[in-house]
Amino acid sequence: MLDMVLTTGVVHLTIGNLIMWLIAFFFIYLAITKNYEPLLLVPIGFGILVVNLPLTFLMQEGEGLLWKFYHYGLEWEVIPPLIFLGLGALTDFGPMIANPKTLILGAGAQFGVYVAFFGALILGFKIPEACSIGIIGGADGPTTIYTTVHLAPHLLGATAVAAYSYMSLVPIIQPPIMRLLTTEKERKIKMRQLRPVSKKEKILFPLVTVVVICLIVPASAPLMAMFMLGNLFKECGVVKRLSDTAANELMNIVTILLGISVGATMSAEAFLKPQVIFVFIMGLVAFAFSTAAGILLAKFMNLFFKEKINPLIGSAGVSAVPMAARVSQIMGAKYDPKNFLLMHAMGPNVAGVIGTVVAAGVFLALAG
Amino acid sequence: MIDWNLAVKIFFFGLGAVFSSLAILIAAIYTFGKILKSIERKTD
Repeated sequence: MLDMVLTTGVVHLTIGNLIMWLIAFFFIYLAITKNYEPLLLVPIGFGILVVNLPLTFLMQEGEGLLWKFYHYGLEWEVIPPLIFLGLGALTDFGPMIANPKTLILGAGAQFGVYVAFFGALILGFKIPEACSIGIIGGADGPTTIYTTVHLAPHLLGATAVAAYSYMSLVPIIQPPIMRLLTTEKERKIKMRQLRPVSKKEKILFPLVTVVVICLIVPASAPLMAMFMLGNLFKECGVVKRLSDTAANELMNIVTILLGISVGATMSAEAFLKPQVIFVFIMGLVAFAFSTAAGILLAKFMNLFFKEKINPLIGSAGVSAVPMAARVSQIMGAKYDPKNFLLMHAMGPNVAGVIGTVVAAGVFLALAG
Repeated sequence: MIDWNLAVKIFFFGLGAVFSSLAILIAAIYTFGKILKSIERKTD
């Protein structure tokens, strides 16, 4: 009888497991009731729950089902590039091509990545760990996961959840920083309507970008190549089936595998450590500094350009597409309901994705 | 022990790569835009 009882998971439950259950239920609650990144928080929460059920061995090396998802999906670098394929098929680079200056804002918003990188080093993290924490500031989930799997796989659960949590909290984190760093006059700046972008330009863009970025930072090639391939599918107009599949069915499948694999890395033994709290704190620092740097860079650019840029679009340089651009639009409309910043903010927003991939590529090349 | 030399190198090289690659992209967008426009003008 005792032997039979010992084969059940109940007697092997630990306090750590129960705490992780609470975290899992909290994520699922946030996803369902608050609609915070539900596509990811539901599978992540569920992954956390099942991996903390004793004796299920779902993450047992070579055997467990979730280990296989994690190993072949993430460690083999398959899932994040496939997510980028889907993102590429969903991204319109038109606003950025129409106003290329906004690319600079996407670069400036990477500043927070390096603030958090140095912050993590000061807190005692090693260089590869600091790179994984810093990249949270890019507000790009797949890039954060890709970088962390390479450099600090033991931090994967913490960095992935921090990145996605802060991305869903963009409407709460960014507005106070935007208000603090801009004057009412600046928030009311109206920007000239964007010129129409031809189909030829849109087709040429992914081809030129993949060559330029991969020549400068070859380590960024897996993400950048798939991102631009997805975009070429979308813009060339002759492979609608591939574009639709990349943007919908494939994206949904890999999102499920990504979410549950990330959740599965969050066992009580791996997650309940003091350093996880530091990861979340530094992630928030990275996010805040990235937002501030984008805004300040826009103000700096206004010193030199005749056509003024509304600094509110600078905050969209953190990736978080399209949430960050929407926040710029909402803030702008609050001070002048006739001011439409959304399309202007989409420029730095998608440039931020490219900038984050480049930053990640440098981390992988130098710290990997 | 943290290798601060490597950390500083990552910072300068990283930020430099981000700004330079995006600056080259800006130049490419303007250049190709002009080339496409001139081709369109000629075909018209």
